[in-house]
Amino acid sequence: MSVLSLSHISLTYPGTATPVLKDVTLSLSQGDFISVIGRSGSGKTSLMNLAAGFLQPSSGQVSIGGAPVTGPGPDRAVVFQDDALFPWRTVVENVALPLKLAGVARDEREATARRWLAAVHLEGQEDKHIWQLSGGQRQRVGIARALASGPDFLLMDEPLGALDAMTRDRMHELLLQLWDQSHTGALLITHSVEEALFLSTSVVVLAPDPGRISFQESYDYGRRFIRGEDPRALKSEPGFIAARERLLAAIYEKEPA
Amino acid sequence: MTDNTADTAALSTPHSRGDRPKLRLPWGLVLGLSTSGGLILIWALASWAGWASPVFLPSPAKVWAALTRVAFDGYANATLLEHMAASLWRVFAALFFTMLIGVPVGLLIATSKIGRGILDPLVEFIRPLPPLAYLPLIIIWCGIGEGSKILVIGIAMLAPIVISTVSGVKAAGENQIRAARTFGATRAQLIREVMLPAALPSIFTGMRIALGAGWTTLVASELVAATRGLGYMIQSAAQFLVTDMVIAGILVISALATISEILLRWMERRFLPWIGKS
Repeated sequence: MSVLSLSHISLTYPGTATPVLKDVTLSLSQGDFISVIGRSGSGKTSLMNLAAGFLQPSSGQVSIGGAPVTGPGPDRAVVFQDDALFPWRTVVENVALPLKLAGVARDEREATARRWLAAVHLEGQEDKHIWQLSGGQRQRVGIARALASGPDFLLMDEPLGALDAMTRDRMHELLLQLWDQSHTGALLITHSVEEALFLSTSVVVLAPDPGRISFQESYDYGRRFIRGEDPRALKSEPGFIAARERLLAAIYEKEPA
Repeated sequence: MTDNTADTAALSTPHSRGDRPKLRLPWGLVLGLSTSGGLILIWALASWAGWASPVFLPSPAKVWAALTRVAFDGYANATLLEHMAASLWRVFAALFFTMLIGVPVGLLIATSKIGRGILDPLVEFIRPLPPLAYLPLIIIWCGIGEGSKILVIGIAMLAPIVISTVSGVKAAGENQIRAARTFGATRAQLIREVMLPAALPSIFTGMRIALGAGWTTLVASELVAATRGLGYMIQSAAQFLVTDMVIAGILVISALATISEILLRWMERRFLPWIGKS
Protein backbone atom coordinates (compact mmCIF):
# COMPACT_ATOMS: atom_id res chain seq x y z
CA MET A 1 0.00 0.00 0.00
CA SER A 2 1.59 3.10 -1.30
CA VAL A 3 1.15 6.64 -0.01
CA LEU A 4 1.66 9.77 -2.09
CA SER A 5 2.46 12.61 0.26
CA LEU A 6 2.98 16.30 -0.24
CA SER A 7 4.58 17.75 2.84
CA HIS A 8 4.85 21.48 3.46
CA ILE A 9 4.83 22.23 -0.25
CA SER A 10 5.37 25.78 -1.43
CA LEU A 11 5.58 26.78 -5.05
CA THR A 12 6.65 30.15 -6.41
CA TYR A 13 6.98 30.64 -10.13
CA PRO A 14 10.22 32.37 -11.11
CA GLY A 15 9.81 36.13 -11.36
CA THR A 16 6.68 36.34 -9.23
CA ALA A 17 6.42 37.50 -5.64
CA THR A 18 3.30 35.72 -4.36
CA PRO A 19 3.63 31.96 -4.05
CA VAL A 20 1.04 29.89 -5.94
CA LEU A 21 0.95 27.39 -3.09
CA LYS A 22 2.08 27.92 0.46
CA ASP A 23 2.77 25.21 3.03
CA VAL A 24 0.36 22.62 1.65
CA THR A 25 0.41 19.20 3.25
CA LEU A 26 -1.68 16.41 1.82
CA SER A 27 -1.48 12.65 1.93
CA LEU A 28 -3.13 10.33 -0.57
CA SER A 29 -3.25 6.60 0.18
CA GLN A 30 -4.38 3.91 -2.22
CA GLY A 31 -8.09 3.56 -1.58
CA ASP A 32 -8.49 7.30 -0.91
CA PHE A 33 -10.44 9.56 -3.21
CA ILE A 34 -9.43 13.15 -2.52
CA SER A 35 -11.00 16.04 -4.38
CA VAL A 36 -9.39 19.46 -4.47
CA ILE A 37 -11.73 22.35 -4.97
CA GLY A 38 -11.27 26.10 -4.90
CA ARG A 39 -11.70 29.31 -6.80
CA SER A 40 -9.66 30.11 -9.90
CA GLY A 41 -6.10 30.99 -9.01
CA SER A 42 -6.04 28.90 -5.85
CA GLY A 43 -3.34 26.66 -7.30
CA LYS A 44 -5.42 23.52 -7.88
CA THR A 45 -3.76 22.60 -11.14
CA SER A 46 -0.30 23.45 -9.76
CA LEU A 47 -1.01 21.04 -6.91
CA MET A 48 -1.80 18.29 -9.38
CA ASN A 49 1.25 19.09 -11.49
CA LEU A 50 3.39 18.76 -8.37
CA ALA A 51 1.84 15.42 -7.47
CA ALA A 52 2.34 14.21 -11.04
CA GLY A 53 5.96 15.35 -11.01
CA PHE A 54 5.58 17.84 -13.87
CA LEU A 55 6.65 20.60 -11.47
CA GLN A 56 9.11 20.61 -8.60
CA PRO A 57 8.17 22.45 -5.40
CA SER A 58 10.14 25.53 -4.35
CA SER A 59 10.22 24.09 -0.85
CA GLY A 60 8.79 21.03 0.83
CA GLN A 61 8.75 17.55 -0.62
CA VAL A 62 6.59 15.26 -2.75
CA SER A 63 7.27 11.63 -1.96
CA ILE A 64 5.86 8.17 -2.50
CA GLY A 65 6.39 5.72 0.32
CA GLY A 66 9.16 7.99 1.61
CA ALA A 67 11.06 8.17 -1.70
CA PRO A 68 11.14 11.68 -3.16
CA VAL A 69 9.41 12.25 -6.49
CA THR A 70 11.71 13.79 -9.09
CA GLY A 71 9.52 13.51 -12.18
CA PRO A 72 6.46 11.87 -13.69
CA GLY A 73 6.22 8.10 -13.68
CA PRO A 74 3.92 5.20 -14.51
CA ASP A 75 2.91 4.80 -10.84
CA ARG A 76 0.91 8.05 -11.17
CA ALA A 77 -1.43 8.15 -14.17
CA VAL A 78 -2.89 11.48 -15.19
CA VAL A 79 -6.23 12.25 -16.84
CA PHE A 80 -6.07 15.66 -18.48
CA GLN A 81 -8.75 18.27 -18.95
CA ASP A 82 -8.14 18.30 -22.71
CA ASP A 83 -7.97 14.47 -22.88
CA ALA A 84 -4.41 14.63 -24.40
CA LEU A 85 -5.13 11.66 -26.65
CA PHE A 86 -3.05 10.97 -29.75
CA PRO A 87 -5.16 11.44 -32.91
CA TRP A 88 -2.71 9.44 -35.04
CA ARG A 89 -3.52 6.34 -33.02
CA THR A 90 -6.82 4.48 -32.90
CA VAL A 91 -8.79 4.22 -29.65
CA VAL A 92 -7.30 0.87 -28.68
CA GLU A 93 -3.79 1.99 -29.68
CA ASN A 94 -4.13 5.02 -27.42
CA VAL A 95 -5.03 2.87 -24.45
CA ALA A 96 -2.28 0.36 -25.27
CA LEU A 97 0.47 3.01 -25.59
CA PRO A 98 1.55 3.05 -21.92
CA LEU A 99 1.93 -0.72 -22.09
CA LYS A 100 3.84 -0.48 -25.36
CA LEU A 101 6.27 1.96 -23.78
CA ALA A 102 6.64 -0.41 -20.84
CA GLY A 103 7.65 -3.17 -23.25
CA VAL A 104 4.51 -5.33 -23.06
CA ALA A 105 4.06 -7.63 -26.08
CA ARG A 106 1.53 -6.56 -28.70
CA ASP A 107 -1.11 -9.25 -28.10
CA GLU A 108 -1.04 -8.80 -24.37
CA ARG A 109 -1.24 -5.01 -24.43
CA GLU A 110 -4.10 -5.07 -26.94
CA ALA A 111 -6.02 -7.52 -24.77
CA THR A 112 -5.47 -5.36 -21.68
CA ALA A 113 -6.48 -2.22 -23.59
CA ARG A 114 -9.67 -3.89 -24.82
CA ARG A 115 -10.49 -4.99 -21.28
CA TRP A 116 -10.16 -1.42 -19.99
CA LEU A 117 -12.19 -0.06 -22.88
CA ALA A 118 -14.91 -2.52 -21.96
CA ALA A 119 -14.68 -1.31 -18.36
CA VAL A 120 -15.41 2.24 -19.51
CA HIS A 121 -18.27 0.98 -21.73
CA LEU A 122 -16.53 1.57 -25.05
CA GLU A 123 -16.90 -1.91 -26.54
CA GLY A 124 -17.16 -1.69 -30.30
CA GLN A 125 -15.34 1.66 -30.47
CA GLU A 126 -11.85 0.15 -30.23
CA ASP A 127 -10.82 0.63 -33.83
CA LYS A 128 -12.32 4.07 -34.30
CA HIS A 129 -10.30 7.23 -34.63
CA ILE A 130 -10.21 9.66 -31.73
CA TRP A 131 -12.01 12.42 -33.64
CA GLN A 132 -14.93 10.11 -34.32
CA LEU A 133 -15.77 10.02 -30.60
CA SER A 134 -17.83 12.41 -28.49
CA GLY A 135 -16.29 14.45 -25.67
CA GLY A 136 -17.51 12.02 -23.02
CA GLN A 137 -16.23 9.03 -24.96
CA ARG A 138 -12.85 10.68 -25.37
CA GLN A 139 -12.54 11.30 -21.66
CA ARG A 140 -13.41 7.66 -21.03
CA VAL A 141 -10.59 6.66 -23.42
CA GLY A 142 -8.31 8.94 -21.40
CA ILE A 143 -9.37 7.25 -18.18
CA ALA A 144 -8.96 3.77 -19.69
CA ARG A 145 -5.50 4.77 -20.91
CA ALA A 146 -4.57 6.05 -17.47
CA LEU A 147 -5.70 2.85 -15.77
CA ALA A 148 -4.30 0.43 -18.37
CA SER A 149 -0.79 0.47 -16.96
CA GLY A 150 -2.03 -0.37 -13.47
CA PRO A 151 -1.01 2.82 -11.63
CA ASP A 152 -1.10 3.23 -7.86
CA PHE A 153 -2.51 6.74 -8.17
CA LEU A 154 -4.97 8.32 -10.57
CA LEU A 155 -4.57 12.08 -10.88
CA MET A 156 -7.40 13.91 -12.65
CA ASP A 157 -7.36 17.56 -13.66
CA GLU A 158 -10.99 18.59 -14.21
CA PRO A 159 -11.57 15.70 -16.62
CA LEU A 160 -15.33 16.21 -16.67
CA GLY A 161 -15.33 20.00 -16.94
CA ALA A 162 -16.31 20.08 -20.59
CA LEU A 163 -19.08 17.49 -20.39
CA ASP A 164 -22.83 18.07 -20.20
CA ALA A 165 -24.63 17.49 -16.91
CA MET A 166 -26.18 14.12 -17.73
CA THR A 167 -22.94 12.72 -19.12
CA ARG A 168 -21.21 13.99 -15.96
CA ASP A 169 -23.59 12.10 -13.68
CA ARG A 170 -22.95 8.87 -15.53
CA MET A 171 -19.21 9.52 -15.46
CA HIS A 172 -19.32 9.99 -11.68
CA GLU A 173 -20.79 6.54 -11.19
CA LEU A 174 -18.30 5.06 -13.65
CA LEU A 175 -15.39 6.80 -11.92
CA LEU A 176 -16.41 5.39 -8.55
CA GLN A 177 -16.65 1.87 -9.96
CA LEU A 178 -13.26 2.17 -11.66
CA TRP A 179 -11.67 3.62 -8.54
CA ASP A 180 -13.06 0.75 -6.51
CA GLN A 181 -11.93 -1.90 -9.01
CA SER A 182 -8.47 -0.48 -9.62
CA HIS A 183 -7.61 0.10 -5.92
CA THR A 184 -5.94 3.36 -6.84
CA GLY A 185 -5.62 6.49 -4.79
CA ALA A 186 -7.58 9.12 -6.72
CA LEU A 187 -6.86 12.85 -6.73
CA LEU A 188 -9.49 14.92 -8.52
CA ILE A 189 -9.23 18.61 -9.30
CA THR A 190 -12.72 19.97 -9.86
CA HIS A 191 -14.90 23.08 -9.91
CA SER A 192 -18.03 21.23 -8.90
CA VAL A 193 -18.83 21.02 -5.20
CA GLU A 194 -21.44 18.34 -5.73
CA GLU A 195 -19.04 16.23 -7.78
CA ALA A 196 -16.37 16.49 -5.10
CA LEU A 197 -18.82 15.65 -2.34
CA PHE A 198 -20.39 12.66 -4.07
CA LEU A 199 -17.14 11.07 -5.21
CA SER A 200 -14.64 11.73 -2.49
CA THR A 201 -13.55 10.19 0.76
CA SER A 202 -12.11 13.61 1.53
CA VAL A 203 -12.56 17.09 0.06
CA VAL A 204 -9.84 19.72 0.31
CA VAL A 205 -10.70 23.38 -0.21
CA LEU A 206 -7.89 25.59 -1.47
CA ALA A 207 -8.03 29.33 -0.78
CA PRO A 208 -6.21 31.65 -3.18
CA ASP A 209 -3.38 34.23 -2.77
CA PRO A 210 -1.37 32.29 -1.77
CA GLY A 211 -2.94 28.87 -2.40
CA ARG A 212 -3.37 27.04 0.89
CA ILE A 213 -5.66 24.46 2.44
CA SER A 214 -8.49 26.31 4.18
CA PHE A 215 -10.89 23.45 4.85
CA GLN A 216 -10.86 19.67 4.73
CA GLU A 217 -13.60 17.17 5.55
CA SER A 218 -14.20 13.45 5.04
CA TYR A 219 -17.29 11.89 3.46
CA ASP A 220 -18.59 8.44 2.57
CA TYR A 221 -21.18 9.04 -0.17
CA GLY A 222 -18.97 7.48 -2.84
CA ARG A 223 -18.37 4.37 -0.77
CA ARG A 224 -22.07 4.11 0.00
CA PHE A 225 -22.85 4.32 -3.72
CA ILE A 226 -20.44 1.46 -4.35
CA ARG A 227 -22.20 -0.54 -1.64
CA GLY A 228 -25.37 -0.16 -3.70
CA GLU A 229 -27.15 2.95 -2.45
CA ASP A 230 -29.08 5.08 -4.90
CA PRO A 231 -27.11 8.14 -6.05
CA ARG A 232 -30.12 10.47 -6.16
CA ALA A 233 -31.21 9.44 -2.68
CA LEU A 234 -27.65 10.06 -1.45
CA LYS A 235 -27.48 13.51 -3.04
CA SER A 236 -30.78 14.60 -1.46
CA GLU A 237 -29.91 13.51 2.08
CA PRO A 238 -29.92 16.39 4.62
CA GLY A 239 -26.33 15.52 5.50
CA PHE A 240 -25.25 15.83 1.86
CA ILE A 241 -26.96 19.20 1.49
CA ALA A 242 -25.49 20.51 4.74
CA ALA A 243 -22.01 19.36 3.71
CA ARG A 244 -22.45 21.08 0.35
CA GLU A 245 -23.30 24.34 2.11
CA ARG A 246 -20.26 24.02 4.40
CA LEU A 247 -18.02 23.49 1.39
CA LEU A 248 -19.53 26.42 -0.49
CA ALA A 249 -19.06 28.63 2.56
CA ALA A 250 -15.44 27.52 2.82
CA ILE A 251 -14.84 28.26 -0.86
CA TYR A 252 -16.39 31.73 -0.78
CA GLU A 253 -15.14 32.91 2.62
CA LYS A 254 -13.01 36.05 2.64
CA GLU A 255 -14.12 36.98 -0.85
CA PRO A 256 -11.81 39.78 -2.00
CA ALA A 257 -13.54 43.17 -1.78
CA MET B 1 -36.50 19.36 -32.77
CA THR B 2 -36.66 18.40 -36.45
CA ASP B 3 -40.21 19.74 -36.66
CA ASN B 4 -39.11 23.08 -35.27
CA THR B 5 -36.37 23.43 -37.84
CA ALA B 6 -38.81 22.62 -40.64
CA ASP B 7 -41.24 25.25 -39.31
CA THR B 8 -38.57 27.90 -39.15
CA ALA B 9 -37.51 27.12 -42.70
CA ALA B 10 -41.09 27.36 -43.93
CA LEU B 11 -41.62 30.65 -42.11
CA SER B 12 -38.44 32.26 -43.33
CA THR B 13 -38.70 35.11 -45.83
CA PRO B 14 -38.38 34.45 -49.55
CA HIS B 15 -35.13 36.43 -49.51
CA SER B 16 -33.40 33.99 -47.20
CA ARG B 17 -30.65 31.80 -48.55
CA GLY B 18 -32.43 28.54 -47.87
CA ASP B 19 -35.21 29.23 -50.38
CA ARG B 20 -33.04 29.88 -53.37
CA PRO B 21 -32.31 26.78 -55.45
CA LYS B 22 -28.61 26.18 -54.96
CA LEU B 23 -26.33 25.83 -57.97
CA ARG B 24 -24.10 22.88 -57.19
CA LEU B 25 -21.05 23.79 -59.23
CA PRO B 26 -17.46 23.04 -58.23
CA TRP B 27 -16.67 26.75 -58.25
CA GLY B 28 -12.95 26.34 -57.56
CA LEU B 29 -12.51 24.09 -60.58
CA VAL B 30 -14.70 26.30 -62.81
CA LEU B 31 -12.76 29.44 -61.87
CA GLY B 32 -9.41 27.68 -62.28
CA LEU B 33 -10.30 26.35 -65.72
CA SER B 34 -11.72 29.65 -66.94
CA THR B 35 -8.62 31.55 -65.78
CA SER B 36 -6.28 29.18 -67.64
CA GLY B 37 -8.64 29.10 -70.63
CA GLY B 38 -8.81 32.88 -70.66
CA LEU B 39 -5.02 33.19 -70.57
CA ILE B 40 -4.60 30.77 -73.46
CA LEU B 41 -7.24 32.74 -75.38
CA ILE B 42 -5.42 36.05 -74.81
CA TRP B 43 -2.16 34.36 -75.75
CA ALA B 44 -3.68 32.97 -78.99
CA LEU B 45 -5.22 36.38 -79.76
CA ALA B 46 -1.93 38.18 -79.13
CA SER B 47 0.08 35.93 -81.45
CA TRP B 48 -2.69 35.85 -84.10
CA ALA B 49 -2.93 39.65 -84.16
CA GLY B 50 0.85 39.86 -84.39
CA TRP B 51 1.28 42.00 -81.25
CA ALA B 52 4.62 40.28 -80.69
CA SER B 53 7.07 38.63 -83.07
CA PRO B 54 6.68 34.80 -83.20
CA VAL B 55 10.29 34.56 -82.01
CA PHE B 56 9.22 36.18 -78.75
CA LEU B 57 5.74 34.76 -78.52
CA PRO B 58 4.95 31.70 -80.61
CA SER B 59 1.29 30.76 -80.94
CA PRO B 60 -0.28 28.07 -78.74
CA ALA B 61 -0.48 25.86 -81.83
CA LYS B 62 3.28 26.18 -82.39
CA VAL B 63 3.97 25.32 -78.78
CA TRP B 64 1.68 22.32 -79.06
CA ALA B 65 3.56 21.30 -82.20
CA ALA B 66 6.85 21.63 -80.31
CA LEU B 67 5.44 19.46 -77.54
CA THR B 68 4.42 16.68 -79.92
CA ARG B 69 7.75 17.02 -81.72
CA VAL B 70 9.78 16.50 -78.56
CA ALA B 71 7.41 13.77 -77.42
CA PHE B 72 7.73 11.66 -80.55
CA ASP B 73 10.97 12.67 -82.27
CA GLY B 74 12.89 14.06 -79.32
CA TYR B 75 14.83 17.29 -78.91
CA ALA B 76 18.35 17.92 -77.66
CA ASN B 77 19.35 14.27 -77.93
CA ALA B 78 16.43 12.83 -75.96
CA THR B 79 12.68 12.37 -76.09
CA LEU B 80 10.34 14.25 -73.79
CA LEU B 81 9.85 11.14 -71.69
CA GLU B 82 13.60 10.80 -71.18
CA HIS B 83 13.94 14.47 -70.27
CA MET B 84 11.05 14.12 -67.82
CA ALA B 85 12.46 10.93 -66.31
CA ALA B 86 15.87 12.55 -65.77
CA SER B 87 14.36 15.62 -64.08
CA LEU B 88 11.86 13.68 -61.99
CA TRP B 89 14.62 11.39 -60.79
CA ARG B 90 16.76 14.37 -59.75
CA VAL B 91 13.95 16.17 -57.96
CA PHE B 92 12.62 13.14 -56.09
CA ALA B 93 16.05 11.71 -55.27
CA ALA B 94 16.89 15.12 -53.82
CA LEU B 95 13.63 15.12 -51.84
CA PHE B 96 14.34 11.63 -50.52
CA PHE B 97 17.87 12.39 -49.33
CA THR B 98 16.89 15.79 -47.97
CA MET B 99 14.09 14.21 -45.93
CA LEU B 100 16.57 11.62 -44.67
CA ILE B 101 18.81 14.43 -43.39
CA GLY B 102 16.37 17.29 -42.80
CA VAL B 103 13.82 15.56 -40.55
CA PRO B 104 16.40 14.28 -38.03
CA VAL B 105 18.12 17.68 -38.11
CA GLY B 106 14.77 19.35 -37.41
CA LEU B 107 14.07 16.93 -34.56
CA LEU B 108 17.49 17.67 -33.06
CA ILE B 109 16.96 21.42 -33.30
CA ALA B 110 13.50 21.13 -31.75
CA THR B 111 14.42 18.79 -28.90
CA SER B 112 17.98 19.62 -27.91
CA LYS B 113 19.56 22.89 -26.92
CA ILE B 114 22.94 21.66 -28.11
CA GLY B 115 21.40 20.50 -31.39
CA ARG B 116 19.79 23.88 -31.88
CA GLY B 117 23.00 25.70 -31.04
CA ILE B 118 25.03 23.78 -33.59
CA LEU B 119 22.54 23.18 -36.41
CA ASP B 120 20.25 26.20 -36.40
CA PRO B 121 22.92 28.68 -37.60
CA LEU B 122 23.95 26.26 -40.35
CA VAL B 123 20.38 25.95 -41.63
CA GLU B 124 19.91 29.71 -41.40
CA PHE B 125 23.13 30.15 -43.37
CA ILE B 126 22.00 27.82 -46.16
CA ARG B 127 18.39 29.03 -46.24
CA PRO B 128 18.71 32.30 -48.21
CA LEU B 129 21.43 31.17 -50.63
CA PRO B 130 20.40 31.38 -54.30
CA PRO B 131 21.14 28.11 -56.14
CA LEU B 132 23.08 29.90 -58.88
CA ALA B 133 25.41 31.24 -56.18
CA TYR B 134 26.42 27.89 -54.73
CA LEU B 135 26.26 25.95 -58.01
CA PRO B 136 29.88 26.77 -59.01
CA LEU B 137 31.13 25.75 -55.60
CA ILE B 138 29.30 22.41 -55.77
CA ILE B 139 30.83 21.77 -59.21
CA ILE B 140 34.33 22.61 -57.95
CA TRP B 141 33.89 20.39 -54.89
CA CYS B 142 31.81 17.54 -56.22
CA GLY B 143 32.30 17.55 -59.97
CA ILE B 144 29.74 17.59 -62.72
CA GLY B 145 28.11 14.20 -62.16
CA GLU B 146 24.57 13.28 -61.25
CA GLY B 147 25.37 13.60 -57.54
CA SER B 148 26.16 17.29 -57.90
CA LYS B 149 22.84 17.97 -59.61
CA ILE B 150 20.91 16.18 -56.87
CA LEU B 151 22.95 18.02 -54.26
CA VAL B 152 22.15 21.42 -55.77
CA ILE B 153 18.42 20.65 -55.63
CA GLY B 154 18.70 19.06 -52.20
CA ILE B 155 20.35 22.16 -50.67
CA ALA B 156 17.40 24.24 -51.85
CA MET B 157 15.03 21.75 -50.21
CA LEU B 158 16.82 21.50 -46.87
CA ALA B 159 15.55 24.62 -45.13
CA PRO B 160 11.80 24.04 -45.76
CA ILE B 161 12.09 20.47 -44.48
CA VAL B 162 14.08 21.40 -41.37
CA ILE B 163 11.99 24.45 -40.48
CA SER B 164 8.69 22.63 -40.97
CA THR B 165 9.93 19.76 -38.79
CA VAL B 166 10.95 22.17 -36.02
CA SER B 167 7.63 24.00 -36.05
CA GLY B 168 5.75 20.68 -36.31
CA VAL B 169 7.36 19.35 -33.15
CA LYS B 170 6.18 22.49 -31.38
CA ALA B 171 2.64 21.56 -32.43
CA ALA B 172 2.68 18.60 -30.06
CA GLY B 173 0.40 19.49 -27.15
CA GLU B 174 2.02 20.09 -23.78
CA ASN B 175 -0.35 17.60 -22.19
CA GLN B 176 0.31 15.03 -24.92
CA ILE B 177 4.00 15.21 -24.04
CA ARG B 178 3.20 15.12 -20.32
CA ALA B 179 0.95 12.10 -20.84
CA ALA B 180 3.75 10.22 -22.57
CA ARG B 181 6.12 11.16 -19.75
CA THR B 182 3.74 9.71 -17.17
CA PHE B 183 3.86 6.45 -19.14
CA GLY B 184 7.60 6.48 -18.48
CA ALA B 185 8.55 7.32 -22.07
CA THR B 186 12.27 7.65 -22.71
CA ARG B 187 13.51 10.58 -24.77
CA ALA B 188 13.66 8.43 -27.91
CA GLN B 189 10.14 7.07 -27.28
CA LEU B 190 8.85 10.58 -26.72
CA ILE B 191 10.23 11.68 -30.09
CA ARG B 192 9.05 8.57 -31.94
CA GLU B 193 5.59 8.24 -30.40
CA VAL B 194 4.56 11.86 -29.85
CA MET B 195 6.75 14.53 -31.41
CA LEU B 196 7.34 12.98 -34.82
CA PRO B 197 3.69 12.00 -35.43
CA ALA B 198 2.57 15.42 -34.19
CA ALA B 199 5.04 17.02 -36.61
CA LEU B 200 3.94 14.97 -39.65
CA PRO B 201 1.28 17.41 -40.90
CA SER B 202 3.81 20.23 -40.80
CA ILE B 203 6.49 18.03 -42.38
CA PHE B 204 4.09 17.29 -45.22
CA THR B 205 3.61 21.01 -45.78
CA GLY B 206 7.40 21.34 -45.72
CA MET B 207 7.66 18.61 -48.36
CA ARG B 208 5.26 20.49 -50.61
CA ILE B 209 7.24 23.70 -50.23
CA ALA B 210 10.49 21.75 -50.76
CA LEU B 211 9.16 20.22 -53.97
CA GLY B 212 8.34 23.72 -55.19
CA ALA B 213 11.87 24.82 -54.36
CA GLY B 214 13.16 21.69 -56.10
CA TRP B 215 11.38 22.44 -59.36
CA THR B 216 12.63 26.03 -59.14
CA THR B 217 16.20 24.84 -58.76
CA LEU B 218 15.99 22.16 -61.43
CA VAL B 219 17.02 24.42 -64.31
CA ALA B 220 20.04 25.70 -62.38
CA SER B 221 21.12 22.16 -61.53
CA GLU B 222 20.99 21.18 -65.21
CA LEU B 223 23.04 24.19 -66.35
CA VAL B 224 26.34 22.36 -66.47
CA ALA B 225 27.17 19.07 -68.19
CA ALA B 226 23.66 17.71 -68.37
CA THR B 227 22.70 15.65 -71.41
CA ARG B 228 19.12 15.15 -70.37
CA GLY B 229 16.44 16.86 -68.31
CA LEU B 230 13.73 19.47 -68.78
CA GLY B 231 16.02 22.29 -67.60
CA TYR B 232 18.68 21.17 -70.06
CA MET B 233 16.06 20.97 -72.81
CA ILE B 234 14.89 24.53 -72.13
CA GLN B 235 18.43 25.91 -72.10
CA SER B 236 19.33 24.12 -75.34
CA ALA B 237 16.24 25.57 -76.96
CA ALA B 238 16.95 29.03 -75.58
CA GLN B 239 20.46 29.05 -77.10
CA PHE B 240 18.94 28.68 -80.56
CA LEU B 241 15.95 30.94 -79.87
CA VAL B 242 13.53 28.02 -80.26
CA THR B 243 11.00 29.86 -78.15
CA ASP B 244 8.15 27.39 -78.71
CA MET B 245 10.30 24.62 -77.19
CA VAL B 246 11.20 26.86 -74.22
CA ILE B 247 7.52 27.45 -73.51
CA ALA B 248 6.75 23.75 -74.02
CA GLY B 249 9.42 22.89 -71.45
CA ILE B 250 8.03 25.41 -68.99
CA LEU B 251 4.52 23.97 -69.39
CA VAL B 252 5.81 20.43 -68.83
CA ILE B 253 7.63 21.47 -65.62
CA SER B 254 4.52 23.25 -64.41
CA ALA B 255 2.36 20.20 -65.19
CA LEU B 256 4.76 17.86 -63.35
CA ALA B 257 4.86 20.19 -60.35
CA THR B 258 1.06 20.32 -60.28
CA ILE B 259 0.75 16.54 -60.50
CA SER B 260 3.25 16.00 -57.68
CA GLU B 261 1.40 18.56 -55.56
CA ILE B 262 -1.89 16.73 -56.15
CA LEU B 263 -0.18 13.45 -55.30
CA LEU B 264 1.17 14.87 -52.04
CA ARG B 265 -2.23 16.26 -51.07
CA TRP B 266 -3.77 12.87 -51.74
CA MET B 267 -1.10 11.19 -49.60
CA GLU B 268 -1.76 13.70 -46.85
CA ARG B 269 -5.47 12.86 -46.78
CA ARG B 270 -4.71 9.16 -47.01
CA PHE B 271 -2.00 8.91 -44.35
CA LEU B 272 -2.72 11.84 -42.06
CA PRO B 273 -6.50 11.73 -41.78
CA TRP B 274 -6.48 13.52 -38.42
CA ILE B 275 -5.35 16.86 -39.89
CA GLY B 276 -7.82 19.62 -39.10
CA LYS B 277 -9.77 17.46 -36.67
CA SER B 278 -9.52 18.43 -33.03
